[in-house]
Amino acid sequence: MIQDYLILSVILFSLGILGVFSRRNVFAVFMSIELMLNAANLAFLAFSRLHESMDGHVLAMMVMAVAAAEAALALAVVILLHKHKGKLDTNVFSVLKG
Amino acid sequence: MFAEGLFIAFSALSVLGALGLVLFRHPMNGAMSLIVTMISLAGLYALLSAKLIFVLQLIVYAGAIMSLILFIIMFLNIQDSDLPEEKGRFYYLLGGLVAIIPIAAFLIKLVKGIPATETTIVGNGFGGVKEVGLVLFQDWLLPFEIVSILLLVALVGAVVLAGKRRMIK
Amino acid sequence: MEHTATYLGLIPLFPLIGAVVIGLLHMLTCKNNPLPEKLYGALACIGPLLSFFLAVVVFVHLKGMPAEQRFLVHNVFTWFAVGDLHIDMGFLADPLSSLMLLFVTFIGSLIHIYSIGYMAKDQNFGKFFSYMNLFLGSMLILVLGSGPVVMFVGWEGVGLCSYLLISFWSEDTNNVLAGNKAFIVNRIGDLGFVLGMSYLFWAIGAGGFDYLSLKANAPTISPAIGIAVCLLLFVGACGKSAQIPLYVWLPDAMAGPTPVSALIHAATMVTAGVYMVARFSFLYSEFPVAGSVVAWVGILTALLSAIFGMFQKDIKKILAYSTVSQLGYMFAGVGVAAYSAGIFHVFTHAFFKALLFLGAGSVIYALHHEQDIWKMGGLKEKLPTTYKTMLIGALALAGFPLFSGFFSKDEILFSALATGHTGIWMIGVFVAGMTAYYTFRMIFLVFHGKPRVQKTFDHAHEPPAVMTIPLIILAVGAALAGVLNLPGIFGGKLIVSHWLAPSLIEHHPHMGIGAEVLAMIASVVAVVIGIYIAFKKFGQGAEEPEFKGFAKFGYYKFYVDEIYNAVFVQPYKGFGSVISRFIEPNVTDSHVRFSSWLYRKAGTAFKVFQVGYVRVYAIYMVIGLSLMSLFLSQSIN
Repeated sequence: MIQDYLILSVILFSLGILGVFSRRNVFAVFMSIELMLNAANLAFLAFSRLHESMDGHVLAMMVMAVAAAEAALALAVVILLHKHKGKLDTNVFSVLKG
Repeated sequence: MFAEGLFIAFSALSVLGALGLVLFRHPMNGAMSLIVTMISLAGLYALLSAKLIFVLQLIVYAGAIMSLILFIIMFLNIQDSDLPEEKGRFYYLLGGLVAIIPIAAFLIKLVKGIPATETTIVGNGFGGVKEVGLVLFQDWLLPFEIVSILLLVALVGAVVLAGKRRMIK
Repeated sequence: MEHTATYLGLIPLFPLIGAVVIGLLHMLTCKNNPLPEKLYGALACIGPLLSFFLAVVVFVHLKGMPAEQRFLVHNVFTWFAVGDLHIDMGFLADPLSSLMLLFVTFIGSLIHIYSIGYMAKDQNFGKFFSYMNLFLGSMLILVLGSGPVVMFVGWEGVGLCSYLLISFWSEDTNNVLAGNKAFIVNRIGDLGFVLGMSYLFWAIGAGGFDYLSLKANAPTISPAIGIAVCLLLFVGACGKSAQIPLYVWLPDAMAGPTPVSALIHAATMVTAGVYMVARFSFLYSEFPVAGSVVAWVGILTALLSAIFGMFQKDIKKILAYSTVSQLGYMFAGVGVAAYSAGIFHVFTHAFFKALLFLGAGSVIYALHHEQDIWKMGGLKEKLPTTYKTMLIGALALAGFPLFSGFFSKDEILFSALATGHTGIWMIGVFVAGMTAYYTFRMIFLVFHGKPRVQKTFDHAHEPPAVMTIPLIILAVGAALAGVLNLPGIFGGKLIVSHWLAPSLIEHHPHMGIGAEVLAMIASVVAVVIGIYIAFKKFGQGAEEPEFKGFAKFGYYKFYVDEIYNAVFVQPYKGFGSVISRFIEPNVTDSHVRFSSWLYRKAGTAFKVFQVGYVRVYAIYMVIGLSLMSLFLSQSIN
């Protein structure tokens, strides 16, 4: 049943959000975002199957490309962070504090 | 019946992998459990008759991106002392759960409203390289080109960010 | 000939265009490559001359019409409309405004030509003519305006130009202060004018707010309101025309270039108040009480400024006080409802006072900006043309028989006597004697006797023709203008009075011919005595006396400026500093500070949410989304 796929997508997405909320480790945060992207891909493909049209497939490919670009940049930032602060803690970044 | 069995197995694995990602303290363990999620998602894609995406998920996501992440994790040679103390993460988890449940409930409520459709495998005319390629290069040509530029920009950006060692000194 | 009315809009337009063109040219070129003065001079004179030409056309056209229908109205556009009320940018030519129009454009043109010589080699030559043209345009709007509102536009415009031209040589602080004084004192008068106008509008404005409608509605106005309107308008006239208590700015206004003093502060702008009272003759004749106030203020001003004039030593200050004094006569004239006599005096005064100022200007020019009459003397050999023309002007000003001032002043004094204002008549005759005295004191000290400062005397020379020709033309006017209104006993027909009659509401009082002759003899005797005393004291040359007692009191102008300063200016400044020290920080500013304090405190309170961790912001976002989801879940299914 198509709803099962969509519910699974919602669950995975929620877990991704929880990961972003609760973790301070940059890798964990980053991979949680990847998880959310995958959940979105699953929803795309499920709807694509539902409507028997292939636009969803193309969008999934785009998401993958964006994920790849994001991975390249995010990992570069992680390396810089590690180099400067010697830490993998997102709480190091708190210049927005009022 | 066989397909339903596969669905249950894959979805259980993917949820377990995701939980592992959220809960494991060391990023290496998290990355390994994310790979489990990725591969089981690839299986789910196959069940949805998305042949090309199934392959791409295995090669690009589970293959390329995840091995890049693993490589960086190993490259940084992370010790336990490098990891942040995450004492309060269960409180955050609990609070996040409270915040997220209404959204999830709302989305699931929406999903329930969709007419029930069986997900039998559709024939050769769906989700293959040729069919997706036709759609991609006819209807989605401009977004495709823009994504290629995005990748180029990301490439340049990564080089600039990661290659700053000399300038910092 | 219907299209003659459309010329009316063009008359003020020409000088205004000239002002804009000259001003732009000056602004664009004054820094790097100044344009030749001849170009500016030619451009500046075109506008006034064209206006003068059109004024003549309008005048001739009016003359061709039947006496009772002599008015042309041209509404250029509707300025603003509120409900049923339309205020038009309209122009009205009737006998009164056409007479003003003629001599304003005529004398204005002459003074423009004269200025080419006087202002030569001034680095702001272009700016000067731009202001002069702007002034003339505003003055023509004032004269031609078809209603009080349009008149007020011109009224403010001439005030502005007066300010700009008084402080024209702005390198000197005193000139700027004089300009400020003129402007501020005029504001007080303008407030009266605006209040009077508003009150008048409130009373009878609903039926149309131009002179013709107001004139028709004037009899419906109640006495209390009518008198209040008249007095408030007169406050405006006091400011513009330098009457007690607002006369103090005019002597200081002599800080401007002499052609400005001649054009603005003698011939045209300062007579705007008299013109305005004559324009509103339908109101003033309705309420003789207000008229009496006007007349008394006028004659007292004449007396006071004549006293001041007797003791001044600056040639332009003497002329300035004589202007104030003559303006007082004019108000006395219009105050006793002899409007045509008042306007006629405006007319002749414009000639002889412009002449005297321009003559004084050429003396000052010849002596390289020396203005102290005690440093002049014997100049009649060096400046023969100036001497002759100024002598004619002085005779006219003094009211010597057969010169123009004699007829107009005598008309006013006779009207005062005939309407029963004997006190005004007596003061008037006395002031006539004083006028003769101080005018000839000036003439004798400047032109007769021996030179007091040999060095400046040796360098003195007659100014160029561009300056002397206007003098000669004005001298002819000053000598002969009186003929236009020759009274009956000289076999004349009072041409000007008859011409003006349709615009004005006045009653020509009649007394026996014997009384008229007696009154005339009285003033002639006063004049002759005044000239004789002046001749006795100064005719043979005299040394500068030490001012003592009353003379010193008069020289320092009864310390009126100092009294005003102590009574009005200083308390006002003190009041201001009280406000700035106590009321502003404690009362008004406290509100402002409270609101800023409130926002700062609120900011501090809300700061706790800004923890600085991005994931916490993500949590805020998700909380918002989940609240929205809760709300939306209600609405589906």
